[in-house]
Amino acid sequence: MSMIPDKPPFKLLDILYKKEFILFVVLIAILIINSNLTPYFLDLYNLIDSTFLFSEKAIIALTMTFVIIARQIDLSVASIIAVSSVVLGYTTSLGYDTWLVISLTLLSGALCGAFNGAIITKFAIPSIIVTIGTMSLFRGLAYSFLEDSYYNKFPKIVSNLGSGYLFGYIPYAFLTFILLALVFAFILHKTTVGKKIFSIGNNPDAAQYTGIAVDKYTFVLFTLNGLFSAIAAIFLSGRLSSVRPNIAFGWELEIITMVVLGGVYIYGGSGSILGVVISIFILGMLSFGLGLLNVPGVGIIIFTGLLLILSIGFPSFVRTLRRKNE
Amino acid sequence: MKKILINRDFILFSIILIGLIGVGFANPLFVTPKSISDVLTDTSILIILALSQMIVILIRAIDLSVASNLALSGMLISLLSTVHPELPVYYFIALSCLIGTFLGVLNGISIAILKVPFIVTTLGTLSIYRGLIYFVSAGKQVYSNAFSEDFLALIHVKFLSLSFLFWLAVAVFIVIYILLNHTRFGRNLYSLGGNPDAAKYIGINENKYIIMAYSLSGFFAGLCGYLWVARYSVASTQIAIGFELTVISACVVGGISVMGGVGTVLGCVLGALLIGLIRNALPAVDISQFWQLAISGAIILLAIIINTKTEQRKEKTIMVEN
Amino acid sequence: MVVCLYMKLELKKISKFFPGIKALQNVDFNLKQNSIHALLGENGAGKSTLVKILCGVYQPDEGSIYLDTKKHIISDPTSSLQLGISAIHQESVMFDELSVMENIFIGNHIVKKNRLVDWSAMEKKTKDLLSNLEADIQPNEKIKDLSIAQRHIVQISRSLVHDADIVIMDEPTASLSQKEIEELYSIIRNLKKQNKSIIFISHKLDEVLEICDEFTVLRDGEVINTDLISNTNKDQLITNMAGREISQIFPKKHVTIEQEILNVKNLYKKTQFKNINFNLRKKEILGFYGLVGSGRTEIMKSIFGITKLDEGEILFNDQKISITKPSDAIDQGIVYLSEERQQLGMTGLMSVKDNINMAIMDRNSNFYVMNTLKEIKNASAMQEKLNIKVSYWSQLTQSLSGGNQQKTVIAKWLSTKPKVLILDEPTKGIDVRSKSAVHEFMGELVEEGMSIMMISSELPEILGMCDRVVVMYKGLIRDILDVKKASSEQIVKLASGES
Repeated sequence: MSMIPDKPPFKLLDILYKKEFILFVVLIAILIINSNLTPYFLDLYNLIDSTFLFSEKAIIALTMTFVIIARQIDLSVASIIAVSSVVLGYTTSLGYDTWLVISLTLLSGALCGAFNGAIITKFAIPSIIVTIGTMSLFRGLAYSFLEDSYYNKFPKIVSNLGSGYLFGYIPYAFLTFILLALVFAFILHKTTVGKKIFSIGNNPDAAQYTGIAVDKYTFVLFTLNGLFSAIAAIFLSGRLSSVRPNIAFGWELEIITMVVLGGVYIYGGSGSILGVVISIFILGMLSFGLGLLNVPGVGIIIFTGLLLILSIGFPSFVRTLRRKNE
Repeated sequence: MKKILINRDFILFSIILIGLIGVGFANPLFVTPKSISDVLTDTSILIILALSQMIVILIRAIDLSVASNLALSGMLISLLSTVHPELPVYYFIALSCLIGTFLGVLNGISIAILKVPFIVTTLGTLSIYRGLIYFVSAGKQVYSNAFSEDFLALIHVKFLSLSFLFWLAVAVFIVIYILLNHTRFGRNLYSLGGNPDAAKYIGINENKYIIMAYSLSGFFAGLCGYLWVARYSVASTQIAIGFELTVISACVVGGISVMGGVGTVLGCVLGALLIGLIRNALPAVDISQFWQLAISGAIILLAIIINTKTEQRKEKTIMVEN
Repeated sequence: MVVCLYMKLELKKISKFFPGIKALQNVDFNLKQNSIHALLGENGAGKSTLVKILCGVYQPDEGSIYLDTKKHIISDPTSSLQLGISAIHQESVMFDELSVMENIFIGNHIVKKNRLVDWSAMEKKTKDLLSNLEADIQPNEKIKDLSIAQRHIVQISRSLVHDADIVIMDEPTASLSQKEIEELYSIIRNLKKQNKSIIFISHKLDEVLEICDEFTVLRDGEVINTDLISNTNKDQLITNMAGREISQIFPKKHVTIEQEILNVKNLYKKTQFKNINFNLRKKEILGFYGLVGSGRTEIMKSIFGITKLDEGEILFNDQKISITKPSDAIDQGIVYLSEERQQLGMTGLMSVKDNINMAIMDRNSNFYVMNTLKEIKNASAMQEKLNIKVSYWSQLTQSLSGGNQQKTVIAKWLSTKPKVLILDEPTKGIDVRSKSAVHEFMGELVEEGMSIMMISSELPEILGMCDRVVVMYKGLIRDILDVKKASSEQIVKLASGES
């Protein structure tokens, strides 16, 4: 048997170039800067509470990561949250049992996702276009149903999940995110499912010729994205006091930012869950810190946009300069 | 004759006509000359933006930042107007176009030079430009009292009983028609989008065209910044939120392929008219405003699916059946 | 024929380096005015680098270029065109959605004084060009509706529009029928009469001997020989190109063919193929010969499950099987190595280990979890068998050399332990030395018990490697012949549609 090593000899310096390491350094930098700028930052309870603001988005970012690695994109997730929260509120108002309410809510999200998946695979239409359409369609359905009213009654367990803590310390939403992140990391990097997703994203034709069921995987990924949007909707509805059809407006951009900032290549085939998780913390700590400093939400939005562009533009610029010098 | 019948532009035109007749039956007031003139005026901004978006889609890209660009340009000139309302209208228009172009050039540089993919760039600038509106306006609105009479009145000036705004859209249509069909630049856009590798081989500079396309898109976004503010007599942080999706839908419905290199100017305008018709027809037939979003979304999806089915590449015929 | 010793193009001591590779070294190349000059060499010999330098895509690192005895620098494709150099490629530098007229004038539309495109002038010029070449093509037809031969004519028209003095033709007859080839030859001779000079790249030595006046052979980036065609012959050219005597290009081992393993009946796919009946026996190499576009690949894609059959039956070991997707075929033991080996076979951003194991992922896993030991065991076995040059398993496949990438794709398929291997143009674009190695390898595979269906457009390869050959024309099988008993003329006639 030929003795070819699995990996090149381990050089500590190589870690420095890895995306995940750079992201980690950025995160530490933000933590240090923020804690120097305000004493409230390093307060444990404050930090824990800060996770509420990004946990729901983070949950969706996990499935969105798979979608983007598979060379697709889903702009309709925020609208699916709207549909699912309306279903949640409505079924509650009808007095259904809690398990039925939750099942129907999850089902509604999965169906929306399946609708996306079906149109994308059956008609071979680029996902960016389909989800631009369903983005309007789904949220429109939420508006048509709820009009300008709102729901504020949900099953007790939902309110607990959304704003409660396990053992009084760990928010359920955050905990769910972390557990799911571990599961997804395992799936992506250690199972055949993950490898097939990378293959589909990098070269869909080759994947098909190799016997990978590209359409089936695509369909399932979009359905999953919808399902997870519904899960996020449950946590979100539990946390907010009332739910209107404009819930989670603009969230799809923030979720995609989480994924792309995490080093996932927008054209698919490359990325890691670890990178996405670190980027979620970067964005979360940034919002939290700036919020404590009374920077308006707008400033955070501008900063996030700049961060997104520069995170790809700056390394690329450096690479071009280096090439010119050769 | 058959070629005319299956021409997609003709089909679009027929759908619009049928739709108009249908709505007319339900609500005769809708098809009066004044009402139609209002619909055309209402759709003019969409037509202008769809035509400029077409330029970008032709080279296989999208500009998601147009609405934020529009809003920011509009807000900036409005703020100027609060301090100097006496300046002539054309001054504001030129400034708005300039700002818009600058914002567009930034997109172009990010995509062509920094090599940040267009999805990421325009998603980023969509947020950045929108955020900057809050920044410069401190979240406050600018009301009609800040504008001069000329500023607000220009777009309503009537010629042949149609508004100036509409004629402006017609002018833009003519300019872009000539640009895309009768200039080297326009024809090279089609080839760059249709086969980017081959186009580069022929000597078409991809980076130059990307920057030019986004600059043009920004220019018209800036122009529409003035038009929007003048039309609604108010500038705020909420202007045109989500409008970029309407613009892209208009293009896709109009037959502009996201794969690049395919699409007609006429089709683009018809796509915008169809969407404009839907937006105005729904309230006219008493459909609650809350249903509008869903119905637009559904119709857009339908149009895209039909679009794709007719566009589908047929396999090359190898065997002739007898 | 005008004999002219005037030097149209001179390349002096041209060198071009890429990281780790000397693509061209000290190359002298002289193109005489009015000459049809063959540029020969295997893949990797430096031909395409030379062409790219002439077209302005690459800059030479050393050396100079002289046109009409004046020194020039060709800085980009536009300069190349301005200097009168035009190239016709194998892959289409064509725009499917645009008209013939626009394709001819692409990047260079005629404009009126007001800078607007002059459509009527272009249309007239196009009509003139097309009628000069005796082509039955309308200026307004879209390229996507034309045949391959017609596309070639459009490309030639494009060079004429640019008033090119030098026309570079890269494998121009690759997909043409005999009749179309003859027509192309007369066009080329016409161009010569119009004072053009032509650089002719082809691997079909018979063709080169027929139509060219001179030749230059490149090998490993250097000029090996350059002379008049009249001073050489086929064997000498082969020796020049390969560097050694190739007496045994087709080292076929003797194998006893066993019973039938695959049988297809009445395969039919609308507009693609009809009445397809053939069988494959164990350890047999069954060839599929025909012009490009005769339907062979389409049949294989249906058997492999990429596309659907409208009608027909497939029997494997006498059992009827249903194949609706590639995994069905792979499970049965039928695999397909497509012509575009990398585009359809390789996942560049994934590791070599992953690529080799890509088709047997499920066998290498326990309940979906990857078993790294099994992965490495298989990868090592394949690496040894095929001699793949790789430094470590986690290396990205896109970092391998072209040849090793192709070996990785083959390794992927061999990992599935297939019974039937479908090869689509397996040696296309491969140099003579490696071709020989591929053929030898094919022989080993059938010895080990595999059966092969090979699509090839190179008659010598079919005659040398196959036991039987299925000859196709326009989606129909003309005949199935025993290679030992058939003659080349007979096969070529059938493939061209003649009786």
